[in-house]
Amino acid sequence: MLSSLRRRLAERVARWARQRQGMDALPVQLLSRRLYILPTGAGLAFAALLFVMLIAGLNYTNSLALLLTFVLGSCILVGMHECQRTLQGLWLLQAQAGDCYAGMAGCVELRFENRSRQARRALSIRVPGAAPTAFSLAAGAEIRVAAAFNAPRRGRQRIDRLELATTAPFGLFRCWTWLYLPLDALVYPQPLGHRPLPRAAAGPARRPSPGRSPGEDEWAGLRHYQTGDSLRAIAWKAVARGAPLMVAQYAGEDGSEHVLSFAGLEPLDPEARLSQLCAWIRECARRDAACALRLPGLELPLGRGAVHTTELLRALALYGEAP
Amino acid sequence: MNAAHPGRTTAGLGLAALLCTAAMNLHHLAWWCLPLLVLASALHLHASLRGHAQPGRWARAGLALLLTAGVLASFRTLNGLAAGATLLAAMTAAKLFEARTVRDWFVISGATLFLLLAACLDRQQLWRLPLYALNLWLVLATLRGLAGGENLAAAPLLRGAARQLLYAVPLAVVLFLFFPRLPGAFWALPGDEAGVTGLSDEMSPGRIARLVESDEPALRARFAGAPPPLIERYWRGPVLHDFDGYTWRRHRGGAGALPMDPAAHSALQFSGPSYHYSMTLQPNLHGTIVALEMTRPPELPNTYYSDDFQLVSRRPLSQAQAFELNAYPHAASREPLSGPQRRMDLQLPANRNPRARALALRLRAAASGDADYAARVLGYFRDGGFEYTLTPQRLGADAVDELLFDTHQGFCGHFASAFVDLMRAAGVPARVVTGYQGGEWNSIGSYLTVRQSDAHAWAEIWLDGRGWVRADPTAMVAPERLSRPLLDFGAGFGSAAARTVRAAPWLNGMAQAWDALNAWWQDDVVGFNFATQLNIAGWLGFGDRDWQTLAIALGAGMGLWLLWIAWSLRRLARAARPDRLTRAWTRIDRRLARAGLERAAHEGVLAYCERIARSHPSIAAALRPLARSYVALRFGPPGEAAQLAAFLRAARAYRIARAAHPADAAD
Repeated sequence: MLSSLRRRLAERVARWARQRQGMDALPVQLLSRRLYILPTGAGLAFAALLFVMLIAGLNYTNSLALLLTFVLGSCILVGMHECQRTLQGLWLLQAQAGDCYAGMAGCVELRFENRSRQARRALSIRVPGAAPTAFSLAAGAEIRVAAAFNAPRRGRQRIDRLELATTAPFGLFRCWTWLYLPLDALVYPQPLGHRPLPRAAAGPARRPSPGRSPGEDEWAGLRHYQTGDSLRAIAWKAVARGAPLMVAQYAGEDGSEHVLSFAGLEPLDPEARLSQLCAWIRECARRDAACALRLPGLELPLGRGAVHTTELLRALALYGEAP
Repeated sequence: MNAAHPGRTTAGLGLAALLCTAAMNLHHLAWWCLPLLVLASALHLHASLRGHAQPGRWARAGLALLLTAGVLASFRTLNGLAAGATLLAAMTAAKLFEARTVRDWFVISGATLFLLLAACLDRQQLWRLPLYALNLWLVLATLRGLAGGENLAAAPLLRGAARQLLYAVPLAVVLFLFFPRLPGAFWALPGDEAGVTGLSDEMSPGRIARLVESDEPALRARFAGAPPPLIERYWRGPVLHDFDGYTWRRHRGGAGALPMDPAAHSALQFSGPSYHYSMTLQPNLHGTIVALEMTRPPELPNTYYSDDFQLVSRRPLSQAQAFELNAYPHAASREPLSGPQRRMDLQLPANRNPRARALALRLRAAASGDADYAARVLGYFRDGGFEYTLTPQRLGADAVDELLFDTHQGFCGHFASAFVDLMRAAGVPARVVTGYQGGEWNSIGSYLTVRQSDAHAWAEIWLDGRGWVRADPTAMVAPERLSRPLLDFGAGFGSAAARTVRAAPWLNGMAQAWDALNAWWQDDVVGFNFATQLNIAGWLGFGDRDWQTLAIALGAGMGLWLLWIAWSLRRLARAARPDRLTRAWTRIDRRLARAGLERAAHEGVLAYCERIARSHPSIAAALRPLARSYVALRFGPPGEAAQLAAFLRAARAYRIARAAHPADAAD
């Protein structure tokens, strides 16, 4: 109950902050007006410790104990300033929400730049309700960070708030800011359904070689990256060696063609149909088979490749939504 | 984040901080405490490297109980600074067995700070200051590491902590000067008797000789004018009345020094030359404010003047304290000796020291009066073939007899004891006064240092018409004792270190400078209190010396500090200078911007080049190789220095082709 109260309070404060600071436009430089700072739990415990030390020093009129207390307290005050300085002046250059499947975590990709000559550490970024991502920035460095968000439902998801925070240098204070960016993520339906892929008459079918299940694909080489390819498929090792962006390709592709129709899944309810369509599209993409999609009021022609797949998935995500 | 594990470096720093702080408490921790901490640290490191299982809940609870029992066994209490510090250190050692998360380490760091506080409360010598600072530095570095979460190197943590300390010091000084102190304590610290060396409530043969081994200062005094000559430097400590034939005690039937009754007080005559002095007295156990003879009773709270002319504190003198006093070496009392006092100072144990009694009666019979008798006894000490030595033969139950007739060897305590015994045996009221005699003049700090090695014992006798008169039999046995420091008496007098220092003049100069620094530290820093605070406020030009003034000074100081800190941190956060590559490309950007082809903020260098190519192909043709090599250098694998140099040369030489530009623009 306490945590729900806390969440509601946080929401309220965030709404107030949004009214106060308005929407952000990229690039954003974080300035002190929008930086908030409060002691952490450890900070409060530390304040109690300092108080006890102060009382002990005062009571025993012990100058050295008082000096220790004052130096420590001053250090913590310096730390408070340093905490605020860790965010102050940081640049957010880019922010982009990636597409994802419902029920899984999507990610917002952000690019921060530290133009100061001071390293910034113990930073963390998060979308409210999701796990934070920790990062640090050396002096003058730039960094790409992915902040996860939860995507419970299909459709267009507005990510209205990002929270960038730091507990540097002591963990006794937490300085944070809220970023209000126009970020829309597309959430594809959950890929679910066990119906077999509808086979179109046209197209030469190639049997998969015997003795190999469809899931286990053989390495078939690299091809150039295309927008929309999964980040996971990128051959990062090759990139590290200086090669251009390449994507791993696997054997098991066939040349069949499939027409995936919403209407053909008659008895299911619309969301289940969309889920089945999504599963099929993924299956086609995996096999590099050509597919077409027919939704009520929308027909997408046959095609293959990552761009085509993304187009189909986005159509599914936006089905029934206002454009 | 509190469930996260700190990096190995951070844990190492935390352990170092804990062990160093425990070492600063070594003097009052139980003997088993530091070995336990070292063992726990070693086990912790081992466990964190090898990933062993850590003890279960019951094992930990058992360990905590065991350790508490250990503290109880060592101290018989959990109360008091020493027992508390030991308990804290032991529990921290127990915590080390299960420390894993950042939260655990926060707890350990907090305990380390408390241990540091305990050390500060107990010991305030100047030489400890850098060590305390080192401990604090380590704790701060640990805390920085805890917040980082990642595996950080020790050097930046220590650097950051050092910078933080430097920033913090000015504010700490402002707070130290102006944060209002309390005039007194709410509750008293239980006395820690083990650590205090010095005079005590009783004197038995050999006791003062043991003190002479100690170079610890007993008090430091600054005089308004010239200091008194050596012969007048008698610092009066506990006065002892009760004698059992071997040991002298101050108590009469259990009571301590009694306050002087007002009539006797008003009969005191403080006249003649006087010395005004301020004195810092080190802690002692007997409660007497050791002061130059005869110090006029000051108007101080919680002190009284006793009937045997001692300044007695009603509170334990467990910390160094400063006093402003006036001494009148020729002060006298015209009040006749009261009956109980006379009885007390004539008391002698029956059947003890019979030979001394016989000697006393023989000498008294030959003397014309009490004063003459005392002179004869002093003459006996002068001519009796007595030897002044720190290591006399051991004396038995009839200590006075053995000294006077058998061993003929003794130190000040022996002679004072024997002298008073002889006086009392002949019916002259007498008592033993313990204290210090002499003191070393520090020419750097212009003050007198009286050390434990200056401890001395002498006698006072009552002469009708003259009152209490000082008589120092040691001065008869070894007259040079009063005119020269004890160290000059050769081997066995004073510690070996003190003799070495005395032998080398330059070492002696350094020792004096160090002592002067210590005196400043003791008087002005450790002894800083509410009164000094108000004085500083007055010195700064505030008219009213009260709490409000302090609050204003405090606020102003803090405000200045905040401005300073904001300014210096802003300087730190100044924009980093871009590297050479970026600077070179920025120049190209500027040239193109002047030609009206500005690069958009979002635009990459290659995309920019292609955009230019669409409108100004000839410019783009010259730009493209530059853009390509820029991108290769910036984002590609680290290239050779020659490539970078070539690019920088080309970028510097880059100009927009003048002929091409208008032609392109005409499209």
